[in-house]
Amino acid sequence: MQIAYYPGCSLHASSELYDRQCKIVLRHLGIELKEIEDWNCCGATSASKTDDFLAVALPARNLGIADSTGLPEMFIPCSSCYNRMMESQKILSEDSELKDKINMELSKKVEGKVKILSILDILVSKTHSGEIAEKTVKKLEGLKPACYYGCLLTRFSRDMQVSDNIENPQGMETVCKAIGAEPVDWSYKTDCCGASAAINDTDTSLFLMSKIIRDAVARGATCFVTTCPMCQMNLDMYQNLVCERYGVKKNLPVFFITELLGIAMGLSPQELMISSHFVNAIGILKDWN
Amino acid sequence: MSSRVLQFRPETSLPLIQEVMERSGQNLLACYQCRRCAAGCPVGEETGVTPDRLIRMIIFGEREEALNNILVWKCVACYTCGVRCPNNIQTARITETLKQMAKRDHIEPLLPKVAAFHDAFLKSTSHFGRVNEIEFMGLYSMHEVRNEIKQGGGWKAVADKIKTKAKLGISMIKKKRMHIRLEKTRKLHEIKRLFNKARDKAGN
Repeated sequence: MQIAYYPGCSLHASSELYDRQCKIVLRHLGIELKEIEDWNCCGATSASKTDDFLAVALPARNLGIADSTGLPEMFIPCSSCYNRMMESQKILSEDSELKDKINMELSKKVEGKVKILSILDILVSKTHSGEIAEKTVKKLEGLKPACYYGCLLTRFSRDMQVSDNIENPQGMETVCKAIGAEPVDWSYKTDCCGASAAINDTDTSLFLMSKIIRDAVARGATCFVTTCPMCQMNLDMYQNLVCERYGVKKNLPVFFITELLGIAMGLSPQELMISSHFVNAIGILKDWN
Repeated sequence: MSSRVLQFRPETSLPLIQEVMERSGQNLLACYQCRRCAAGCPVGEETGVTPDRLIRMIIFGEREEALNNILVWKCVACYTCGVRCPNNIQTARITETLKQMAKRDHIEPLLPKVAAFHDAFLKSTSHFGRVNEIEFMGLYSMHEVRNEIKQGGGWKAVADKIKTKAKLGISMIKKKRMHIRLEKTRKLHEIKRLFNKARDKAGN
């Protein structure tokens, strides 16, 4: 089965590992990702915070390209890109004047037909169909992840149809249980880690992360698992600093969901590029290697 | 900041409410100050100003205070306030609106680094259609250096800033989390046209 694929800037740069993992893991589940051609940046938080027109128009160009592929669905792994594209599609479906204005500038016009999928949309359905359990060769028993969703996967600035519970989503737990892991129950799964402030307002971001890390440690989690490259990068890269500043004694590796799935499917940490983590993530996996 | 008593200013109240409501699409008048947003705001503890206070400020017509507010700049756009509001008010849309209004009125951003970050991000997008970390971080760091010099921080402060950034960059390159190659959209003229249109729209 072919699905259109929008990697977004971070999966072609700082989170290249996630791009690779998505492709490998989904291939194992019978999905071929077809990257849409000549895509552009979605504008992320910066456009939505500073320019209402660009916040819709930048994602719109990608939506037009996706529509032109004729594929019914498009997968967007990054929560920020996913959020921006979903909102843009919704706004354009309600505002034909704006849609015409934007389409005037585009060689591939937005029609609004492509259905946007998050990584959990795909993985949860593959869990329910039994395909994930079927592909699992190593059960990750004893691994206790704190499933971290962050903001943009479930919360939008407009009324949107969200496929999981907004305050207490369960998609990642469902997938983790299917591969034998034992996710912990905790309180900060949808709290903001401040990734968009990490560079420009570092203290705020560190403070927000301290609460998240502290709770995960207190609940007995042995690692984080996330689906968002911004959250992964932030929690991973700054964790040492947070723990030092706020007196947290333990470091937790921050996995992408595709890493846990990959290991469960029998792939090696090298194939999955797990060495690209800041907090050592290989050590904890040796029981299943 | 939060302790100051708000003053009702009838002459500025209505025009301010109307402008913010129109631009943000949020019905501020539906706010009955239940403060569910305040309880969920991750930066409220630090700012002392919570979404409900900001809405109150606007309704009272405290234009200057609203446009020049710490919450507007500290807001991390997590959308928690909005999804919890019983009256469906998205305060993150309001902070976005106030930021744009402040820019239009040439009010100096309260946190210049935040403004510079978003400017650098969009500039990077307009140059290549995609954001390249090295270019983007370069643009942003240049702003920081300029700012440091302007504030009279001296060369040592500038050198320290560059050193911290370089250290971060090097650790990212070591972990293969930063790359030297350049990502680019081929049909850049389409991106430029969208940026031009955005400028035209902001101008009117």
